[in-house]
This record gives sequence, structure tokens and C-alpha cells, in this order.
Amino acid sequence: MAKWGMVIDLDKCTGCQACTVACGMENNRLPGENWQDVLFYHEGEFPSGTLKWFPRPCMHCENPSCAEVCPTRATYKTEDGFVLIDWNKCIGCKYCMIACPYGVRFYTDEKAQIQPDIKQVFKSDGKRSWNPPWRAPDNRDDWQHGVGIQPIGVVSKCTFCYHRVSKAPKGTADLDPKNPALREFTPACVLTCAPSARYFGDLSNPHSEVSKLIASKRGVRLRDHTGNKPQVYYLTGGAAGTIPTDRRGKKA
Amino acid sequence: MSNNAISLNPQTSVINALSLVGIAGTVLSLALVFMNMIDERHASFNTTSDGIVWGLPVATYVFFVLTSTGLTFVASFGMVFGIKEFLPLAKRCIWLAFATLVAGFTALAFELGHPFRMLWALPTSFQIVSPMNWMGVLYLAYVVFLLLKFQKIHAGDWDSSASKKLGIASFIAVTLAHATLGSVFGMMAMRPFWFDGLMPVYFLLTALLSGIAFAVLMTYIAYGGRREAMPEPLQNLLKGTTPTLYASMPVVFSTVLGVTLVALAARTVTGVWSHQDGFQAFDWMVSSPWFAIEAIGMVVAFFLMVSPRTRSEVGVQLLSSALVLLGLFIGRYEFVIGGQVVPVFKGNWVLDFIEYTPSLTEWMLLVLPLSLCLAIYAVGEKKLQLGAMPER
Amino acid sequence: MDILNARLSRRRFLQATGAAAGATAVVGGVGYSTLAPSENAHAQEKTAGGGTKITKSVCAQCPARCGIDVYTTDGRVHAIYGNPEHPIANGKLCPKGHLGAYFLYDPDRFRGPMKRTNPKKGRNEDPKFVPITWDEALNTIAARLQALRDKGESHRFALFYGRGWGASCAGLQGTFGKLYGSPNVAIGHASMCAEGSKRAKRATDGNDSYNAYDYRNVNYILNFGAGFLEAFRPYNYLMQMWGHMRTKSPKTRITTVDVRVSTTTAASDRALLIKPATDAALALAIAHVILTEGLWDKEFVGDFKDGLNLFKSGQDVPPESFQERWTYGLVPWWNVVVKTATPKWAAEITGIPESEIVITAREFGTTRPAIAIMERGPTAHTNGTYAGMCIHALNALSGSLFAVGGLFYQMGVPYGSLPVNADDYMDEYAKNGPWKKFPRIDMAGTEEWPMAGTMMQECAKNHLAGKPYKLDTAMFYYTNPIFTSPDAKAWEEALKDVFVIDTSPFPGETAMYADIVVPDHTYLERLQDAPTYPFEGWPLTQLRTPAVKPIYDTKVYGDILIEIGKRMKGPMGEYYKALGNTENVLRHLAKGFEANPGDNGVKDFESWKEKGVWYKKPYLWRQYRGEFYEWDGKGYNKKMTPEEVKAKLLKTPTGKFEFKSGFLEKHAEYIQKRLGVPPDRVGFPQYIPAMHTGGGDLHLVTPKTAMHAEGRGGNLPHAIALAQPSMGGRRTVFLEIHPETAKKRGIKNNGKVRIKSNLGVIEAIARYSPGARPDTLVLPQEHGHWAQGRWAKGRLPGNTSDICENVSDPISGLACYYTGKVTVEPA
Repeated sequence: MAKWGMVIDLDKCTGCQACTVACGMENNRLPGENWQDVLFYHEGEFPSGTLKWFPRPCMHCENPSCAEVCPTRATYKTEDGFVLIDWNKCIGCKYCMIACPYGVRFYTDEKAQIQPDIKQVFKSDGKRSWNPPWRAPDNRDDWQHGVGIQPIGVVSKCTFCYHRVSKAPKGTADLDPKNPALREFTPACVLTCAPSARYFGDLSNPHSEVSKLIASKRGVRLRDHTGNKPQVYYLTGGAAGTIPTDRRGKKA
Repeated sequence: MSNNAISLNPQTSVINALSLVGIAGTVLSLALVFMNMIDERHASFNTTSDGIVWGLPVATYVFFVLTSTGLTFVASFGMVFGIKEFLPLAKRCIWLAFATLVAGFTALAFELGHPFRMLWALPTSFQIVSPMNWMGVLYLAYVVFLLLKFQKIHAGDWDSSASKKLGIASFIAVTLAHATLGSVFGMMAMRPFWFDGLMPVYFLLTALLSGIAFAVLMTYIAYGGRREAMPEPLQNLLKGTTPTLYASMPVVFSTVLGVTLVALAARTVTGVWSHQDGFQAFDWMVSSPWFAIEAIGMVVAFFLMVSPRTRSEVGVQLLSSALVLLGLFIGRYEFVIGGQVVPVFKGNWVLDFIEYTPSLTEWMLLVLPLSLCLAIYAVGEKKLQLGAMPER
Repeated sequence: MDILNARLSRRRFLQATGAAAGATAVVGGVGYSTLAPSENAHAQEKTAGGGTKITKSVCAQCPARCGIDVYTTDGRVHAIYGNPEHPIANGKLCPKGHLGAYFLYDPDRFRGPMKRTNPKKGRNEDPKFVPITWDEALNTIAARLQALRDKGESHRFALFYGRGWGASCAGLQGTFGKLYGSPNVAIGHASMCAEGSKRAKRATDGNDSYNAYDYRNVNYILNFGAGFLEAFRPYNYLMQMWGHMRTKSPKTRITTVDVRVSTTTAASDRALLIKPATDAALALAIAHVILTEGLWDKEFVGDFKDGLNLFKSGQDVPPESFQERWTYGLVPWWNVVVKTATPKWAAEITGIPESEIVITAREFGTTRPAIAIMERGPTAHTNGTYAGMCIHALNALSGSLFAVGGLFYQMGVPYGSLPVNADDYMDEYAKNGPWKKFPRIDMAGTEEWPMAGTMMQECAKNHLAGKPYKLDTAMFYYTNPIFTSPDAKAWEEALKDVFVIDTSPFPGETAMYADIVVPDHTYLERLQDAPTYPFEGWPLTQLRTPAVKPIYDTKVYGDILIEIGKRMKGPMGEYYKALGNTENVLRHLAKGFEANPGDNGVKDFESWKEKGVWYKKPYLWRQYRGEFYEWDGKGYNKKMTPEEVKAKLLKTPTGKFEFKSGFLEKHAEYIQKRLGVPPDRVGFPQYIPAMHTGGGDLHLVTPKTAMHAEGRGGNLPHAIALAQPSMGGRRTVFLEIHPETAKKRGIKNNGKVRIKSNLGVIEAIARYSPGARPDTLVLPQEHGHWAQGRWAKGRLPGNTSDICENVSDPISGLACYYTGKVTVEPA
């Protein structure tokens, strides 16, 4: 069983948000409902002030606190590492949104970020919460795995493009977008990332590119102190000095 | 109806007025809530995924269910722990506990995306590691025990073994239920403002205080503010003229209030003092004028209730319980919002703390439970002899 | 359900034109193999196989022209990704590229031709459009043009265009003007785009063009104001190269000179926040250090005859002491300009510390290959061409022209010729009609703007003044100067008494003034060619193929032009009848590939449609260690003579890179008059202070953001939500202001402000940007639409064009968008 994970090389990331938009279109997100966001912040002041940023997908944690708090098991972790939401079971209590240390979950029924509300332009068909003409093919809808346009009253999130990745041939070590045979299985954000800052592969396979990058370029995880243990790693430069991010080593 | 119960009827005109207010408030707020939610659903809330996820309705929920817990504790003083001085309040408290529980879950029902789905999804999925799941289960058990217990005492059965067991059962159920509610927040390691293993204890204390204050307030309201209209044991309890001083309301009230203030102060001072990332929420909390109202109100109430000169006065007790309830409600709001007010990540997308002002719909989801609670209470007061107590 | 209704009219249109669905490739069963029957009316659209089709097309959201894979299922476009076999896209896209479906399904799109019924024009006047047939629309236009021609006033018809794509659209316009008889067919928007860098290169190396760059091999980039990671072209490819450059060995070092904090400055190794319009001084100081420290490329530039470096600060060098190779005028340039352009001098002008200038110069001078790139930032000022020349001079000093890891120019495409030759269809009027006496309405190429190729921004002003004459009819293709031109409000006055024909599918500002609307397809519906902008040098052209049949009653612009032509009397009408339609044009263009099959096997129209792109490597020329070589089929083996270099590569009067520009010296008198540069200095790359407009105390720069699809993206709620995340903009675009600058004026973080220039006032929400220059405000351009659709309209901030004075660089004609100074106050 694969343990899918992502590596994001922040040395290459240009902060362009193509990941955000590709995800938004692949997964039919509302404007501003960024399953995959890029967060910017300023540091310092003129003339040494600068801008910083980091992209933020769902971390698909090894210990997903969102799944632990979900009273109905609507949020769950699959054997191959996805953290998904079953929209048939979600009661919209939003506890998972509270419990997520990364802020990557979205409730369906909120004020439109951009007015006029596009949901009122492409109105719900009674099932989906809205119904744009560019929505994914109807047969891709898979509410059990949180794929498609969600119904009302539920929480949604990045699926690691479950509808693509889950169809990858067994034993695939890396979903390299350069490989034409694997393109259609690669997550949208990884596929489009122009500087190729994103890598996607099997963390449990020591020969995978993601495993090698984590080892050789010192991949770190975001907020590791919460113990959620993300399956998304960041590469933050090649220097040897790095900060230990948790207190207790892995049991051998 | 049992003959061996002493019962004095509360003031009918007040109860009628209460029921009118309750029903009118319920109808009005329900109409507004439906009007706003039918089309927009939760878009009529000012909650957002990248900001405040749980808004005022959750604070309202917490306030009411913890008040319900506290009321059950007050009822249990007499019924479970045998402090007979509290028995005159027991039946009213149990009914009030039911009313506030309904109120709390009404707020929650409108806050959930799929409240009806919860009814089957919760028991069929049963996520054992989710505190919220346990909260649901235990509150369900609680409400069943509570109603059964009420039915027993309403039938005059205060002392049978079954009745006692039901009393103990509902006490245990609510103790655990509120504890899991405490854990719903307290277990959130990613939200330092809440993260505290002793949160259930903190909830226990504040729940008890809000139960006491609510019981005092509603009892006075029931009798039109006239203590002399009350049955004598009740008068004694409130006045503090019970044979044992510790078993009187002024002492219990001021003691619980005092301990709560210590807990509140300890939590706040530690929060403001510490540089723990996420504790900036305490700065947010104390810089709000609402915090001043909460703190000053509760401190004033404490001094009024602790002073032998004032603590027995009707007006003082009314004022103190009102101040405490207001303070506790503000506290619940600060608590629920405070855990979310520091952005998960800094960034230019947010200027400072997350901004949040409840929408009209969300305010109506305070008016609705409150009105509903009053209406249910009034019905009980009219029909169910809430002043009943066992014959000595 | 409007879309469904519209499908009927689209069918009608299809029957009329016989347009076919695009070339497609079915995804090999992966992921989409189990298509359930669609439950709604879209089922009518199902393709034969019932699967998902991938159409190879071309993005249209910026000029970069990335090849795209358009995914269509059941007749609905539901995904767009980069075409993996496309050399620019390489399977990748920028953030805009994915949003194509928003254009296609824009609920505010025009659904067919319309005419205006409200004769009054203005921002708040509803045009009261009524639908008409294509025949009525085209006949009305043709009759109007014919009447003008019959009166001998055909020069009063102008065709304005912006984002022309290729030979099948904008490429048809020149012929139209020639046959019809108007000097104003067509007037391009280049003078409102980036003419400055082109003219700077014309003046120095003789190529009036943007550059192609070899980012794959470059080791140092000195970037002057190009929005490399936001808007520079081709953005998608640049980001791919960024990923490559930042991880290759050695890592490419990048210094970015800009006036504002951006993702580009932030991601660079060094950011130099320069005072606006002073880039020339910095470039000169860098040249000064390179020369004094002997770091110039001696094989390309040449050297002192005795090998002793005589470039000493402030000291003249005897011209005869230096032997130049591929440059001309280095020593005179040194003696007149560079010898005094010390880092200390530049530090005072630019605000950049001397030490930083010296370090940057040494890095640039000691790293090879090293290139200096630039775009509109330094050149959209009155001193812009000179600034561009100073920057480009660094490329000569580093010897990177035509070198590996350097820069070159774009080769053309060997298109086949059209089925008919326009010269055979010229009537007497076309050849010698009265229109020949008239200059262009924009006066480009006249004494007023002798070196400018086009001056669109001047047209409204000239029309209003009746100088040289008044326009009668104006047609617009992919341009919207009434919203984007400096002093845009002048256009709002000017177009009131002009018969306006708009071809945009979107209800933009021009359309609000239109008397007749003949809507083009959106790009996912078009059949259209698009040769590349300068990219890697070797020729490349692509084909936009419809991913879906047009969903409304629209017509591709090339066909609109041809159909109008067909309705003209005489040989002109005959010409267009013979030309047929754009598909016929494209089929003839593709015949050129028979003799030049592309590297991907494209050899005719069908294979071009299937692959979406034709290209042929390599670039034919290379400069290596001071010698030029030409590709002989196997390698760069053929050494070129100076004459060949002059003819093909360095197209200046001297056949060298000119530090003393022959091109400018020809216009010495004009330059002296307009810029006050003495005639003996005009040829040299130099710093002259810019003439700032606006009358305020703060510089206002108006960049493009990464989500900015050339103003046409204004009605994309998804793009609005991501417009300026660097400042937190999720609903609006913010004015970036340094906190101290703001506080001095009582402006709060997130407070509303008024930004004033001599021309007027616009409003915006201010956000504190601690990294910003305290003397410079930043407000992204082309927001504040007053039309363009429900999401675009009436959204803050205001339109920067409303407060940008119409002042241009006298040499290039480039509108000085970044030279305005404004005041700002709380609103």
C-alpha cells in the first residue's frame, strides 16, 4: 500500500498560485475557496523589507486530528494515506475545521467572497451546492471521497486529487508530471506547477523521489509539534543547519 | 399529584408575562431565522472558514448546556447528596435544566449543517476518539435520566431507590457530558487558548456557578421578586437562615463565585503573561470592553454576595445573579471565539486578529433559545408545580 | 439556463459557416473510461466516443501563447492544462491559464451581433442594444465604409487593435487597409505596451524587437523592472526556467532592480529598490565599475591595444588606444557619459547604496553568461529609451549577445503564401486615392513622433482637436483604450461622435460606446494561428483549435474582417471572396510547413491542428568568444563575415553594437528639441532625469499582477479572489503604501484613500506595505472597470488610467504609465 505524500521545494516556489487555480478548476472550487492556498506575509521594512510566502495544501496527516474529532467518522484516513470526507456522513458540525492545525478545511455555506455570489449565477441543481457549466464530468462525482461539487451543509477539503491519484498503477513510486503515462493520475497542483516545486509520490517507498528529497534536502513538516505528522514536506533550502521539529525520535 | 408535597404557587401574572415573552420571542426569532436561513443557510452567519468557524450560536449552546449542567448540580445537592436545604429548589432546577438543555441544543441544531443526519450518523458511526461524539451520547443519556427523574418527583416519588438511582444517574451523566464538552475544547492542542487537560474542571466550576445564578434568578422571577411569597424552606435557603450556614444559597453562591473568579483570574493572568504562540487571544480578550463588564460585574457580585450585610438582600441577590449570568455569557463568547481569533497562520490575508461580529441570524439564535427556555419554564411553572418539595 | 438556449443559435451559426469541431485526442481510457449517461440537456453534446476529449489549443490570457490541453466531456469544457508537447508550456500553466472556462461561460458575454438604439453615449448611458442578424451587422459596417470611400474620406476609418494573434486575424488588417485605403488600418497598441525596450534595442543593436533569452544556460540575471515572476513574458515558461535556474549547478544568481516589493524581488538573491525612473544611472554605474575594473568581455567588445586598462574614473581615454570588435563607440561613450557615472554619483540619483552598486557590478561582470533584462518598468518614462539603452549596453559589455546563456532575437515562421495576392486587387483609389495625402490619426512616423511605430494613445486627443482630422468610424479588436489608455477619459469624449464597432465578446467599456457590436468567439471556440513572441529564438507557431463549438452566435474576428471585405465594391470585394475565410487562410499558411516540417512532425494543416504547434530548432546563429557562427545543418560551424552579421544579427548602421547610436543621431534635432539632449550626446546611452507628470509628491507605479489577464480578466470572480494575495487582496486590489508615508497623511491600514493627480481622483483601499519605498505608491493597473460585466463593474480600486497623464517617451512613443506623481489622502 502506498503512502502518498507531497514535497514542496520552497526554493523553487514562485508564489504564483497556479496550484491554487488549477486545484480550484479541477475540483470546482468557489472563487476564494482555496483548497490549496498560498499565504503571503511581509517581513522587515524598507530598504530591507521583503515578502515571504508558502503554499498550503491539506497535509494529509499521519495522525489527522480532523479525523479524530469527527463524531460521525465522515472524515477518515485511508490506508494509502488520503484524509478524505464522506459527504454522505458529514453533519456540518465544523469540529474538524477547529481541530485542523493548518486551516485547510472549508464549510460550504458561507457568504460569497466575491459578490455577486456565483452560486446564484450557476444555481444548485438540488444536489450540488452550485452548478457551473465547467464542472467536472458527472461520472467523476464521488461524495464518499469528497470528490465533486459538494452538497450543502458539509465541509470540504483538498483530496490530494483522490480521483486521479487513486487510479495510479499499483507500485507507482512517483507521480512525475513529466511522465506522459502518469500525467492523468498526478494531482492538479503538481501537474501545473511551472517551476516544478512540487513532487508527489510514495513516502513508504525509500526509492521514491519524494523520499530521496526529504532525506537529501532535509524536508521539514509544518507545525510538527502538534503531532499531526503531515505527509506534506517542505524543502526550505539546502543548508545543513536545520531545526529539529519534534521532541521524540521515531521508534526503530 | 402527591398530597404530601408542600406547594405554594408562584405569581401567576409574572408567569403569564414570561410565557408571553417566551412565545412571542420564539415565534419572532424563529421567523427571522427561517427567513434568513431558508435561502442562504449558513451564509446568513458571519462565520468563515478562514476565520471564526464556530460563532455566537456555539457560545450560546455552551452557555445553555452548561447552565443546564449547573442546574442539575444544584438539584443534586438535595437529591443526591442529601443536603436537604436545597430540596425546595430541586424540582424547579430539574425543569430548568431541561429547558436550558432544549435551548442549548436548539442553538446547536441551527448551527449544524445537517442536524437530522446527526441523529443516525452519530450512533451508527460512533467515533470513540471524538469528544463530540461522547458529548452527544452523554447529553442524550442525561436528558433521558433528567426527564425520568422529573417524572418520578413529579409523581411525588422523591425517595424511592429507583428515583435516587435516576438522580445519581443524571448527575453522573451530566458530569461526564459537561466534561466531554470541556474536552471538545480542552483537547485541541492546535488551539492553545483552549488546550488544557483541566478544562472539564473549569467547565464544572463555571457550570455550577451559572446553574446557581440561573436558579436564583428564575426563582425570584417566578415569585415576582417577592421572597415573602415563597415557601418558608425556600426563603430560608435564599436568605441564608438555614440551620447550617454552609447549606445556604448566599454562602454557596459566593463560594462558587469566589473560586470561579480565582480560576478565571489564574487562566487570564497566565494567558496574558505567557508568550506562547496563540495566547495572543488573551490580549484580544482583555482589551475588549466586554471583558471589563464581565470582570467588574462578577467581582462586584462577589463582594455583594460575600458581605454579611448585603448578601441576604433580595435586590442584591437578583442583581448578583444577573451580573454573574451576563458575565458568564460574555465569558462563553470570549472563550469560544478566543480559541479561533488568532489566525492559524499569519499573513497579509488578515490584518491582525480575525474580525467577527455576529450577524442578525446569529443573534436571533440567542433570542430563540432564550425565549424557548422561558416558554418551557413558564409552562412548567404553570402546569407542573415546580415549587414542589418532599414533605419532611 | 441561458446557455442552453444559446446553443440553438450557435447551431444556426454552425450551419451557416460549416465550422468543424476541433482536432481531438481521446484520453487513453485512464480515469474517464466509465462515463455514465449525462442526465441533463448537455447530453446532446456528447461526442461520438462518449469520452473526454483533449483539444490542443492556445491560451489567450496573456501574450505568451502557451499551448493548452482543453478537456471536454459532454460538450462542456471542464479543465485546461498545459500541453506537455508544447515547447513554451511543457505541460505547465500560470495561474491564469486554468481559468479559460470562465471566459467561455461568462454569463455576461455577448450572444450575437447587436446595434445601439440609444444615440447618447457616456459611462452611465445604457446603449440599449438590440440583437440583429450577422447580415445586417456586416452590411451596415460595409455600407458605412463604402460610403466613406465613395466620398474620398476613407482615411477617417480607423481600426484599432491590441492583442493581435497572427496571420489569420490581425495579420489580415494591413491588407484590408491597403485595399480599402486608410493609413489608420491598423493602429496597434504597442505604444501603450512596451515599445521602450524595443526601441532601445533598435538604437543599439539594430533589432526593433523584444529579446529571446537562453535562461537554460545563463548564470547571472540582472533584472531591471521586469515582473519575471508576475507578468514578464512568457510567464509560464519563465517560472519553469526559474525552477531550473534555482536548482541547476551553478545556481543562477538573480539581482532584481525594481521600485516595489514583488514576488520577483522577494525571490531574487538581491533586491535593489530603486527610485523610479533612475535605472539608467544604476546601469551606467555598473558599466563604470565593469570598465574601470576590466571586467568587460574582451572577446566581444575588444580591448586596449596594449592590454593596459585606461578606464579610470573621471579620466578621458584616447579613442585610438582601444581596438573594438563587435561594438562601436565604447571610448566616446566612456569619455562623454560613463567616466563620471561613478557608483557614488548613481547612489545619489538612485538611492541605492554605493556598496550595493559595486557588489552587483562585480557579480555581473565576473559571472558568465550574464544578462541584463528589462521591460516596461524602466522604460515607461520620458527617459525610457535611454534607460533601456543603458541596460542593454550591459549585455554588450558582458558579451552575451547571441551567446550561449545570452540573448537573441526571434526567427519568423515560414508560412505559405495566401491563395490570392492583394496587389492584384488594388484599384485606382487604393493605389492613388486622396487618402494617400493624410498622415495617420496618431501622427506616428511624422515629425511629431518620428521614431514611433504607433501612437494609439494620441488618437483621442487628435480626434478631439480635429488635428490632423476627425475620425468617422472606428473599429476595435482586442483593445479597449477608453479604459486602458493614459487619460482614458479623453477617449470617453472622443468616441461620442465616432461610429464605434466593437468586436469583443465581452461587454467592455468600448462596447458601451459601440454603435454596433460584432462579437468574436472566445478563445476556446476559435480557429486562429498565433506565432510566438520572442521566446528561445527558433521559429514556433501554434494553432488555436475550437475545443467546443461556439456556444453563442459569434464569429471569429478574421471572418468578420473577411466578410466586411466581401461586401465592399470593386476588386476589394473580389479579393475577399477569393480569400474565402480564415480556415482557408490557415490552410494556405500551413502549406509552408510542407517544405519545413516541424520537429514534432507537423507538416500540414491537419497535423498542425492535431499537435497545436509547429516549431523547428535550432536557432541558426551563435556568437562564441567573439566570433559569429551560423548553423550548417550539423552544428554552428560556419563562421560569419561582418557583412553577414550586419545583415542578420547586428542590424545597425555600423553592423556593430552601437554605444553611439546611429539611429538616434539621425534624429538629433528632434531629440534635442524634445529632451534637451545636445546633438553631440544624443547617440549615447545616458541618464537624463525623467519629466514626471501628475503634479503630486509621491510616485505612483501601476504594475500588472499575476492574475491580471490583460484587463479582460476583470470579470472573473476566481481571478478577483486571487488578484493580489501578496497584499492580502481577496476581494479587492489594494494600494500599497509604506506605513510611515500613510501615517503622516492620516491614512489607516485598510483605510479608504483618494489618489489625486492633475487629471482627477480615484479611490482605493490602502494597505501598509512595510517593504515599500516611502516615496512610491503601488496600485495594480486596470481595475475599476465601469463595464465588462457584473463582477468587474464598480469594484475598487479606481482605474489608474483615469489619473495617468498622456505623456510619452519622445523616442519610443511609449506611454509613460509609471512616471506620474500623485497625492494621497484619507477618503
